[in-house]
Amino acid sequence: MTEYAKQLPVITSSDKPFWDAARRHELLAYRCLSCGTFYSQVTQCLACDSPRMDWVRVSGKGFVYTFAVYHQLYHPAWAKDIPYNVAWIKLDEGPLLLSNVIGCPNDEITVGLRVEVVFDDVTDEVTLPRFRPSAAKTD
Amino acid sequence: MSIKDKYAFVGLGLTQQGKIPAMSPDDLATQAILLALADAGMRKDEVDGYIYQQGIGGGPNGVTPMLRAGIPVKHCWEMQSGGSNCLSIVMAAVGALEAGLCQVCVIVHATSASSQGVLVGRPGERSYGIEGVYGAYAPGVHGAWLAQRYMHLYGLTREQLGSVAVTFREYANKRPEAVMYGRTMTMDDYLNARMVIEPLCLFDFCLVNDGAVALVITSAERAKEYRKPPVYIMGYGSDHSIRELGRSPQAYLHWDGFVTQKAGEGAFRMAGVTLADVDVAQLYDAFTPFVLSQLESYGVCGRGEAGAFVEAGNLKLDGAFPCNTSGTELSWSYLQGFSHLTEGVRQLRNEAGECQVRDAEICMVTGLGPPRPGSLANCCILRR
Repeated sequence: MTEYAKQLPVITSSDKPFWDAARRHELLAYRCLSCGTFYSQVTQCLACDSPRMDWVRVSGKGFVYTFAVYHQLYHPAWAKDIPYNVAWIKLDEGPLLLSNVIGCPNDEITVGLRVEVVFDDVTDEVTLPRFRPSAAKTD
Repeated sequence: MSIKDKYAFVGLGLTQQGKIPAMSPDDLATQAILLALADAGMRKDEVDGYIYQQGIGGGPNGVTPMLRAGIPVKHCWEMQSGGSNCLSIVMAAVGALEAGLCQVCVIVHATSASSQGVLVGRPGERSYGIEGVYGAYAPGVHGAWLAQRYMHLYGLTREQLGSVAVTFREYANKRPEAVMYGRTMTMDDYLNARMVIEPLCLFDFCLVNDGAVALVITSAERAKEYRKPPVYIMGYGSDHSIRELGRSPQAYLHWDGFVTQKAGEGAFRMAGVTLADVDVAQLYDAFTPFVLSQLESYGVCGRGEAGAFVEAGNLKLDGAFPCNTSGTELSWSYLQGFSHLTEGVRQLRNEAGECQVRDAEICMVTGLGPPRPGSLANCCILRR
């Protein structure tokens, strides 16, 4: 395996459970245990003010909320990927995740495209969740 | 306590804009400060406050421009928060004046981004966090995500995005100091430009150039002593998308996620006027989709209508909402929010040349940008 030259996540105490789970090929999202609202990073629920928040496992299914395709190179490690996409995936449970859509040409990506998570083991320590078009047309 | 009409701009100093390799940001800032004082007809020893912003790729080295200009200020701050920062600086200056920390405050933006060959968005320029992990470099991607989503929801076309860029270019073509003066752009030029971050092409992105501007603010009573007609601050409001952040990690993904509503409400309430009273507007335009988003979230047009609104010519001088009349960041000069404030002051002084809105009395100026995550929206109402 050649050395991974792209930027790796800086894993902190607040998101370590997410990255630990990704290594096990499980997708987690952060949720209020009182009212069920999903969040990215808050320690107190903005909807019901509950401090009872935790990571919960989610399905890994969702759709492309929006995306952009890079034709300009900013980081040399992405040179071979140009043009590459960066997409926001809205999971069926509600939260949005930043990721890449893989396994299909950029011109087949649309807002609303159904996708499912795939786990990309980029180093021995880090696995990145990415998304591919769902096998089933409806699920 | 309202600051309505209590403070005014009395001086404006603008250097050459474009590629100026012979001048450092300190050189440019010094020149802009001296030009602003000359414009006001003000002595150096009257200035006692100084607040400045770093431009892209760096800016003034602290008080160096004031030292070089021979102005021994007693009060100074550096402030930096990108596209929202200019109007935040205006309010910091008003706060310093209100608190008696100073009597006359000079605010400055200077940059030599072009001469330094800055590629905005390069890794290392700032920390990219999770965005960098997935390759999402450069602020323009936020405009691209917005436009893509908006195209899906409301059928926005590239021609409609292009109409923002072409309209503003036409303004800049009439302003001799504009970076894009003499460089016309047709819709075909726009549609054939290279993609940068699709669906945005080169002309959806703001300029990167060198230049500086300085403005002088003081009390309304004192403002009458100077050479130029004062431009008064009528109202001000701000809003941050922080309360949307629970729903998504990047609230500006929502088409209406700039959360400008409270910024507009606050500014117009303080000013005691409404949107209908605005004669000319300068909306923050780092990327074309930001203009469409603000037109809708400030209530100029309804949800999903902004593309057609611009395409119909409403942002032109003879349109319903003359807007960004110098060409601002997209085609005039990238001085971040200072591009918009500068043109707002010039319109209300009747100094906008061929782009002058006749009898302009009230101008709306906006800013948009960090602190991240999310975005801060600032709105300021100026009057002559």
